Amino acid sequence: MHIMEGFLPLYWCIFWSIISFPFVAYGVYLLKRLAGEHRDTLPLLAVSGAFIFVLSSLKLPSVTGSCSHPTGTGLGAILFGPFLTAILGVIVLLYQAVFLAHGGLTTLGANVFSMAIAGPFLGYGIYRGGKAIGLNTFVTIFLAAALTDLFTYVITSLQLALAFPAQMGGIITSFTTFAAIFALTQIPLAIMEGIIIALTFKHIIQARADILLRLNVLTPDQVKKVQESIA
Amino acid sequence: MMELYLDGYAQENGLREVDSRLKLLFGLGAILITLSSSTPWAPLFIAGSMAAVTILLAKIPGRLYFSLLLIPLSFSVFSAIVILFVSGGGAPLLTFSVAGASFMVTTGSANLALLLLARTFGGMCSLFFIALSTPMIEIFSFMHSLHLPAVVIDLSMLIYHFIFVLIGEVISIYNAQTIRHGYTSLKRSLRSLAMLGGMLFIRAWQQGEELIMTMDARCYDGKLELPGEWKNIKPVTVALIVSYLLLCSALAYSSASMAIF
Repeated sequence: MHIMEGFLPLYWCIFWSIISFPFVAYGVYLLKRLAGEHRDTLPLLAVSGAFIFVLSSLKLPSVTGSCSHPTGTGLGAILFGPFLTAILGVIVLLYQAVFLAHGGLTTLGANVFSMAIAGPFLGYGIYRGGKAIGLNTFVTIFLAAALTDLFTYVITSLQLALAFPAQMGGIITSFTTFAAIFALTQIPLAIMEGIIIALTFKHIIQARADILLRLNVLTPDQVKKVQESIA
Repeated sequence: MMELYLDGYAQENGLREVDSRLKLLFGLGAILITLSSSTPWAPLFIAGSMAAVTILLAKIPGRLYFSLLLIPLSFSVFSAIVILFVSGGGAPLLTFSVAGASFMVTTGSANLALLLLARTFGGMCSLFFIALSTPMIEIFSFMHSLHLPAVVIDLSMLIYHFIFVLIGEVISIYNAQTIRHGYTSLKRSLRSLAMLGGMLFIRAWQQGEELIMTMDARCYDGKLELPGEWKNIKPVTVALIVSYLLLCSALAYSSASMAIF
């Protein structure tokens, strides 16, 4: 659930676009540099972007009955880091608006900030942190993916609360109300996404661990440990 | 997954021959007017007229269109209800209490909630117009003419290509899993979805590796060329679009003080 077209007032649309701009601009700079150094950057990032898009259009089994979609950006953050994920996120959000009628064009800046910047940054931080302290690989991936998803909706609630503060209690009351309503559907969804992404990684490690080694997502030791524990 | 074919409808819509810049002007102009309007009237007019243009002129099936409208419905109704109760201003309209907590709806909050519903529908109908009448490939040409970095446009085009490749993979894996009772319980669904995700990623990556070889074999030098062809712009169409946008702005301006409550 992204913020739909027409929902945010014009000045908030502009505000969030300005906030998102430096992150995306740095991502473009990084992308240009990488594409210059390695010829295979572009095709491989493209398949990953398409993968995120297709993943985010799959319906997850949801406990509360509403049909919900994963964000998929947690996976991007783990694989490519937050800045490249920001670019993939912009493109994926644009396609979601134009292909799936999810989100919108004027609310793109706000949605990019919540889904492609804030969430992935947190997820990337959790993944790096978990790896540094030697937490179990699957637990780390689960936490990174689930909290990326959850944090995206915390930021969305904040964006809605800033645009529409409550009469009594202002932004904080409004924020807790929005967050509480989103929590009904998003907490189960975040847990689902965490489990699915963690299991997805298991399949990738089993079949093509070399991809993860190449992207520097896992160390050879980790891969060996995981493959032994599966076998 | 049927929704994914919005682009397919756009490829063969009734307004295919109209220049995409004009269609973008029409849709984006209407969105901006919707956002600047302070009462629900202009957004509602835009929602109605956009729906009519999309169904009658672009010849998009009505049933598809109304099923699309259900997507923004849940989000906007949810959020509008929150705003109905938390924002305020004006005279109280309705006060009640549930389980010790009291709720109050005022004229100010009712007007804001209605305005947001109308704006969402005005905006979504305009977005649907763009989505259903302008094929993605023409939007790439437009992005190119805006001088966006070439590497970003190339990345977008490659992603666009792979989305369709991967959807094909998803459909076949999903069907294979479904006929083997892969989605009959929550636990099985989780297992099947994860397997689908993992396989999809691996196949996507292989496709990417193959693409590098194919592109190298065809002398790829880091830049994809884009056939940029613009269609003839008829003055009549421009006049119609400009007068429509002026009419909407006039409506938004003149109805600025006509609040419902």
